[in-house]
Amino acid sequence: MAAQLPDMTTTLAPGAAPALPSLVSARQLRGQRVARALRLWVPAAILVALFFLCFVWPYVYPIPSGTVGSILAAQEPPFSPGHWLGTDPVGVDVFAMLVYGGQVAFEVGFAVTAIGMVIGGLIGLAAGYFGGWTDTVLSRIIDVLIAFPALVLALAVAEVLQPSELHLIWALSVFSVPAFARVTRGSTLVVRQLPFIQAARLSGTRNWRIIIKHVLPNVLPGIISFSLIGVGIVVILEGALDFLGLGIQQPKPSWGAMIARGQTVLTAQPEYVLIPSIVLLIFVMALNLLGDALRERWGVR
Amino acid sequence: MSTETAADDKRPLLSVRDLVQEFVVREGGGTRAGVVQAVSGVSFDIRPGETLGIVGETGSGKSTLARAILQSPRPKSGTVSFRGSELTRLRGRQLLAARRNLQFVFQDPFGSLDPKWQVRSIIEEPLIAYAAGDRQARRKRVDELLDLVGLDPARYAKRHPRELSGGQAQRIAIARAVALEPDLLICDEAVSSLDVLIQAQVLNLFEKLRRELGLSYLFIAHDLALVKQVSDRVGVMYLGKFCEVGPGESVYRQPLHPYTRALLDSIPSTEPGAGRKTTTLRGEPPSPVSPPSGCRFRTRCPRAADRCAAEVPEPRELFPGHQVACHFPLTEPADPAAAAQATATHTTATAPG
Amino acid sequence: MSQATTDALLEVEDLRVAFAVGGREIRAVDGVSYRVEPGQTLAIIGESGSGKTVGCRAIMGLLPAAAMISGSARLRGSELIGLSDAQLRKHRGSDLAMVFQDPARSLNPTMRVGAQITEAIRTHRKLGKPQAKAEAVELLRLVRIPAPDRRFHEYPHQLSGGMRQRVMIAIALACRPKLLIADEATTALDVTTQAQIMELMLELQAELGMSLLFISHDLGLAASYADEVVVMYAGKIVEQAPAGKLFGAGGTVRMRYTRALLDAIPHIERAAHTELPVVSGRPPDPADLPPGCSFAPRCAHAADDCLAKAPALAEHSPGHSWACWHPCENGVAP
Repeated sequence: MAAQLPDMTTTLAPGAAPALPSLVSARQLRGQRVARALRLWVPAAILVALFFLCFVWPYVYPIPSGTVGSILAAQEPPFSPGHWLGTDPVGVDVFAMLVYGGQVAFEVGFAVTAIGMVIGGLIGLAAGYFGGWTDTVLSRIIDVLIAFPALVLALAVAEVLQPSELHLIWALSVFSVPAFARVTRGSTLVVRQLPFIQAARLSGTRNWRIIIKHVLPNVLPGIISFSLIGVGIVVILEGALDFLGLGIQQPKPSWGAMIARGQTVLTAQPEYVLIPSIVLLIFVMALNLLGDALRERWGVR
Repeated sequence: MSTETAADDKRPLLSVRDLVQEFVVREGGGTRAGVVQAVSGVSFDIRPGETLGIVGETGSGKSTLARAILQSPRPKSGTVSFRGSELTRLRGRQLLAARRNLQFVFQDPFGSLDPKWQVRSIIEEPLIAYAAGDRQARRKRVDELLDLVGLDPARYAKRHPRELSGGQAQRIAIARAVALEPDLLICDEAVSSLDVLIQAQVLNLFEKLRRELGLSYLFIAHDLALVKQVSDRVGVMYLGKFCEVGPGESVYRQPLHPYTRALLDSIPSTEPGAGRKTTTLRGEPPSPVSPPSGCRFRTRCPRAADRCAAEVPEPRELFPGHQVACHFPLTEPADPAAAAQATATHTTATAPG
Repeated sequence: MSQATTDALLEVEDLRVAFAVGGREIRAVDGVSYRVEPGQTLAIIGESGSGKTVGCRAIMGLLPAAAMISGSARLRGSELIGLSDAQLRKHRGSDLAMVFQDPARSLNPTMRVGAQITEAIRTHRKLGKPQAKAEAVELLRLVRIPAPDRRFHEYPHQLSGGMRQRVMIAIALACRPKLLIADEATTALDVTTQAQIMELMLELQAELGMSLLFISHDLGLAASYADEVVVMYAGKIVEQAPAGKLFGAGGTVRMRYTRALLDAIPHIERAAHTELPVVSGRPPDPADLPPGCSFAPRCAHAADDCLAKAPALAEHSPGHSWACWHPCENGVAP
């Protein structure tokens, strides 16, 4: 019953089975491998490029300063000599604003996320691992924080504190901490039930060591990929706050403020809204795609 | 069931008396739907160097029994005496110290290993927890243990569980379990999720450790043939109680309890046509939340009579070391009233052909 | 049986299934051929990774779109491989049906049991609701569920594992298929329930004139319940014979792998603490199959030719095929 394939008529010993050809082409397999790698490295490269642009470039190349001379002649369109993205109505270079606004975006985004990860993560770990009263108390606190409508709280904070980058970070942390706490608690609850945790207890390991050495490493991949999405959300929130005038104040630029100012001339000169919006879009998409690729690598569900 | 005979001069290693474990069954909304008594008054001994096999189907309570012995969670009532210490009364450090010699092998080989840890750290964990030697001594011990379970330390020490097969992962779990040279190893369906050929490898490993380390085992499984092959004595559990306990050969050749007989008949044998046995058990296992009164097996027993509903059968020894909890064990004739009732309703398959 | 007659119910020829995962080709099924006659019980036995389940799912069209399938599977002459879902639906239920391993996950937990059966009935037959319900209750009775009228209205979680599996069988039988495929249908059940379900399937087979194809890792089940046994390893068939030829007194197992399986199963007659004959190593990686016989790296009797060339499955003795260069001489069970 040996299968006879027409193009395999090599001299086979009697009774031997011929080797069957591949059903899957080598090209298809290569394509799969390449696609997988691209999904990780392209967004990572974009983020690195943006970071480089915002933090390294200004020290290497001179950022175009504003136009000088009459204010009436201040505004220049994109692709003008010396100002490749143009200038805004008062003469400030658009590219310069993007770069410095980008610094703010990175700083606020990662700072708020880091605070959320550390504080929220600790709360979530404790609540998820110990359960009982610890969980009940901590979960209620988290629920209270989440219940606050985002922008109302930001408004309140902005009223009380003078709007500045640092205060903006504190205000936004009120959202990131409970978000991370929730996610960490959920993951911890799942991991806690897994047999290797019980095996660790039966081996005699104490609770604190179990949390740090067993629970945390298993919960971390999920937290990290969530955090990348979190950075994107924070940057958008920051942009919204700037748009409302509650965040970064003039003259320090931010992408959200740029969009806000640009909306007044949206129909006539859409580039003042489009340019920062596109950059913001690229930034957030790269973060999300990187988060997805890492989830794929690390097998987080 | 007490299994100490007159000739037994060694104190039992593990002595369990009247162990009861319950858990609360909740409805979706969290309201109490009832209490399941998973283990209802179980008693047995394990002597040093002995393997006791416990066989039972789903709902028999065998896994709950294993965890109750380990005090995780604590049983509702009853006593568990291990090497002279009463485990139910120990707390914290004392319990930890007492449990050093009592270890556990789980069913899921991968589940019991932390996927983020290296094999070497996994095996080293109990050594660290009980402060057994300095770093160098521990590393040496880990390599010894890997050799003991048949894995080359040079190749396996730095691997992660995802790089292992099921059989290899279970060997790592076993290596970890014997790291502190325990006296008793509880194996809860330890080979049930392994393929047949790998299962044989791991079973041979258990035998090797038994010989070389003088281990005692409490071996829990749902496969009667497997349990009998591995054990000196076999206990059959049904709905939280022991039906029958005795030496493996005795239970196999002279089953006393109708449930044991049914289990034996259900084993598909490699004799063609022999699968068409004369009695297939009828009915479904009853709900563990409200078990039948008297003998719990009576709703499915072909020999059930009125007495079975009224009175809980107590264990009694019919052969040396071989006990049964049944009003009408298979060596005695069934109650005539029951026999008439049973033939009317019980299923007989076609004759072997 | 090896003549090219056309009256077989299911004829599988050169079935191959491969997947491209993570840049590697996984050869799950590597050239499998067998036949199921009307009214026959065929058992496909193999460990995990042998390709037994993937092969049957390919026949039923249940593999993901990414699976590459070649070969043929003809049900009473009509080709099943390569059909679209709509075309396969015509065959599913009325010609062939499948019962899966885990009844807890194969039944919809939010639908009453009766509704799931009537849904299966009404997919293939034009029956009004009351007739479908009556038919469903009849089916429940057919699978020996006590008090079928009451059970009709219950949810899956109210039934035990054995009963849920009976419901699965009832759904599978809704349109009286000619072939019932049971994929590890009793693996998740207790041994006493397993015996009940196997008995039930055999009784139904006789009553309804069905063929039964059951997939399992348990050689004992094959020996007890099957007419014909196919043993698979690493995607290929390594031995095939009627059950009587393989097992029991006078049975001769030829292929070394089947012999190893038989020896490794715990036999209740064995004395306690016997050392089992052990086969070292583990099944080959389906993405990286060895050039010669797939079992050779683990076989105690492997010779150089075993590692170099793969033996073809051939009928060396009437009705009994195997793929081994150095088969067992007298493979009588202990």
